[in-house]
Amino acid sequence: MRYLTVGRPESQRRDLLVTAGLAILALFIAGMNLESRLAVTRVVRSTVLAPFLAAHRVFARSTDLSEQVASLTSERERLAARVLESANLELENRQLRIIAGLPERRVGEFAVGELTAGAPEAGGSHTFLFRANADVELLTPAGISSPQGLVGVLRTAEAGSGLGEFWTHPDFRVGVRTPDGATTGILRPYSGAGGETLMLLDGVPYQTSIAAGTLLETSGEGGVHPPGVPVGRVLREESTRSGWSHAYLVDPIVRPGQVLVGLVWLVRPLPAAPTDSLADSSRAPGGEPVPPAAGPGT
Amino acid sequence: MDVERSVWAWSALGISALLVLHFLFRPFLVGLPVAPHLLIGALLLATLRLSAGQAAAMGFVLGILEASIALEGMGTYALALTVVGYLGARARDLLFADARFYVFGYLFIGTWLADVVLLLLGTSPPGAMRLIAGGAIDALLTAAVCTGVETLTSSVAERQV
Repeated sequence: MRYLTVGRPESQRRDLLVTAGLAILALFIAGMNLESRLAVTRVVRSTVLAPFLAAHRVFARSTDLSEQVASLTSERERLAARVLESANLELENRQLRIIAGLPERRVGEFAVGELTAGAPEAGGSHTFLFRANADVELLTPAGISSPQGLVGVLRTAEAGSGLGEFWTHPDFRVGVRTPDGATTGILRPYSGAGGETLMLLDGVPYQTSIAAGTLLETSGEGGVHPPGVPVGRVLREESTRSGWSHAYLVDPIVRPGQVLVGLVWLVRPLPAAPTDSLADSSRAPGGEPVPPAAGPGT
Repeated sequence: MDVERSVWAWSALGISALLVLHFLFRPFLVGLPVAPHLLIGALLLATLRLSAGQAAAMGFVLGILEASIALEGMGTYALALTVVGYLGARARDLLFADARFYVFGYLFIGTWLADVVLLLLGTSPPGAMRLIAGGAIDALLTAAVCTGVETLTSSVAERQV
């Protein structure tokens, strides 16, 4: 007989104990926070899995290279045209700010890095691994986008790499506005007919309507995402709570599987302000302190 | 070299080859509508020769590796493959007869059940049709590939001795 037969009772008990111990350990790992899981993932990926991941990168590069060149060329041309267009706007904005006595515009910087989407065998992926240079200091949560639009949120980071969640994650929320700023709302992932993952714009006031095809971009509220990042286009109205609000289906601009490079917003901390002026500004006219706004997208 | 040791060594080689193929071609295999589950197949082949505790430990380690490459469900994969390893070895203890047909049936049913366990534990399990149709074809492919590997390694080992 080539295969093992039934073990003795004591070895069966030992096997059961070993299995129970491992099952408890697995449950403990499942309950670990993102930072701890990131640490384990990094150790495994940089040791045992390193040769396989290197091979994956080589395969991906060799198969996607011609597509990437074409896409980068067209993107570069679009960007060059946009830079030319915005040069005058930038100057005008600077001059108007000087006239109005406003400080320099805070845009923040972006860290560019490689984005690896999770690929579970079962179900869809909501998680990605972001890897930038080790000397980049990433503060979390931070919005992550591609040149096309919003990708998701970086949840945890250490030494330039971190784990994040795509906008498809059930807990994802982001504050958005129309480009003219007339309408704002909160977007969340939504499973459309046929199981396709779309977005739902909730809480639009009843008297406001948004035309199909309207672009929605991040409002910047909450400080997680920079303002003005394209998120999606309105498809149609999904539901109406009579007399209260509308909800619109939104077609996302970025699909998780398409993204290979991500831009993480490096939020610059606010400049230190005198304590007195902060205290004054955080008080409502009646003298009561105003609680900080709870931002979406966190 | 005696028969047992030779068969063991060649089986270990076959199982290692399946695991290397799984991790090497994973991005390609995951993208296909139906594909063999080489990881589960390799684990089930290993359960034919390991004790239940050893099989569970192997399942646990493979679960951690799989979750690290998938970036999702670290504890879930470890738990599911630990259970698959233990139950696979126990089922072998209770049911097995030494014949190719049994190996094929064991791998087919084992892969299908493991697939169901993984889908049920997954964060966003697809519908029942995927479970029944896709899972069955995946399991059939897995059983075919892994039975082929098992037959090859066994016959090479026996011929060598």
